[in-house]
Amino acid sequence: MEGNIVQMGQVIGAGLAMMGAIGAGAGIGIVVSGAVQAMGRNPDFAGTIQTNMILGIAFAESIAIYCLVVALLILFVGVS
Amino acid sequence: MTASSDNRILGIKNRYLVLVLLIGWAVAYRIMPPVLMRIQLPAEELTHAVQLPLLGRFAFTNTMAAMLISDLILLVLAFSFSRAARAALAAGGRAIGGVSGAVEALLEALYGLTETNAGRWAREIFPWFATIVLVVLVNNWLELIPGVDSIGILHAAEHGFAVQATALGTTIVGAATHNEAGGLFELVPLVRVNSTDLNFTVALALIAVFMVQVFGIRALGVGYFKKFWNTSTMFTKPIFGVIDFGVGLLELVSEFSKILSFSFRLFGNVFAGSVLLFVIGYLVPSFAQTIFLMLEFGVGLIQAVVFGMLTMVFMSQAVVSHHGDEHADPEGAAAHD
Repeated sequence: MEGNIVQMGQVIGAGLAMMGAIGAGAGIGIVVSGAVQAMGRNPDFAGTIQTNMILGIAFAESIAIYCLVVALLILFVGVS
Repeated sequence: MTASSDNRILGIKNRYLVLVLLIGWAVAYRIMPPVLMRIQLPAEELTHAVQLPLLGRFAFTNTMAAMLISDLILLVLAFSFSRAARAALAAGGRAIGGVSGAVEALLEALYGLTETNAGRWAREIFPWFATIVLVVLVNNWLELIPGVDSIGILHAAEHGFAVQATALGTTIVGAATHNEAGGLFELVPLVRVNSTDLNFTVALALIAVFMVQVFGIRALGVGYFKKFWNTSTMFTKPIFGVIDFGVGLLELVSEFSKILSFSFRLFGNVFAGSVLLFVIGYLVPSFAQTIFLMLEFGVGLIQAVVFGMLTMVFMSQAVVSHHGDEHADPEGAAAHD
């Protein structure tokens, strides 16, 4: 068991940074649920709805990706 | 893959081959266990850095090598596609087969999407959409080729790995133990996926957002900037005018945040994917990585389409006047049957 307190802080911090993915996960779930309901109601517009759904997912997902980038930066670039 | 029915692999006729391969994998990984590579965010430099006028410090990195390879692939695709299309036209409009047929199907799907969203601007916007999708797609899928990220040059490093010579070349065999006889080395891959370099994604995002503004100005003239600096209702409707003005400023901020989200979305997805492949290949050497390669195949496709589609949607929003009621783009809505 070696390492120092900075490394410990890095690992814990990266883990904490990824907590932001909670919101994105819930958001994507809501988006897809709404889109699937809409597709069930009028299947004729499934294509349009799907496009908008993917856009919405991309926007919600980008928040999680910010968290991921922050976590990766903490882990692999580190504190200077 | 061959036509003879006795040797089918995809038809799972000779299923034992898969089993043999699996056992072979397991034996190979027993003999030479995989190593978790050191993961580095900035691209590794292959040459010595030189000082260029205006540009500053420049070194040929391994992501640039990937860029060149993907450009080459795109050029070959483009030429073979145009030749196939011309041959198909000359033969009286028969269907294009092979890879060119796949490209045609992709382009048709993308054009349909553009027409649904952009209406009469589809012909102008489509080239940007398709180019971005193709470039990002080829760059993302380079990750799936064996040897990318794993074949490279060994450099002596302080916190490196022990190495061992084999029949195929020198390879890294294990984590650093103290006082290794031959010294410790680190692998610098010759090719690393371009999308894991922030320079590429930021450049692409800057181009995309800049072209969104260009399309807006081309469609609406100077009036496009009213979206950002909206003083038209400031004095007629005191309270809502101020709110409109604030909304305009927020639009300005959102243009800059578009650059950020474009570049970080692509970078984060693909970089996380390559880290995932490293870690899975190290933890479960046999078979498991195949599944994650399939996942990366999907992620690469989705991210390419999302990058292009967001650009396309922003462009089609920019060409529509923001005073919704005057020109409520009738064709954009009517293009979808």
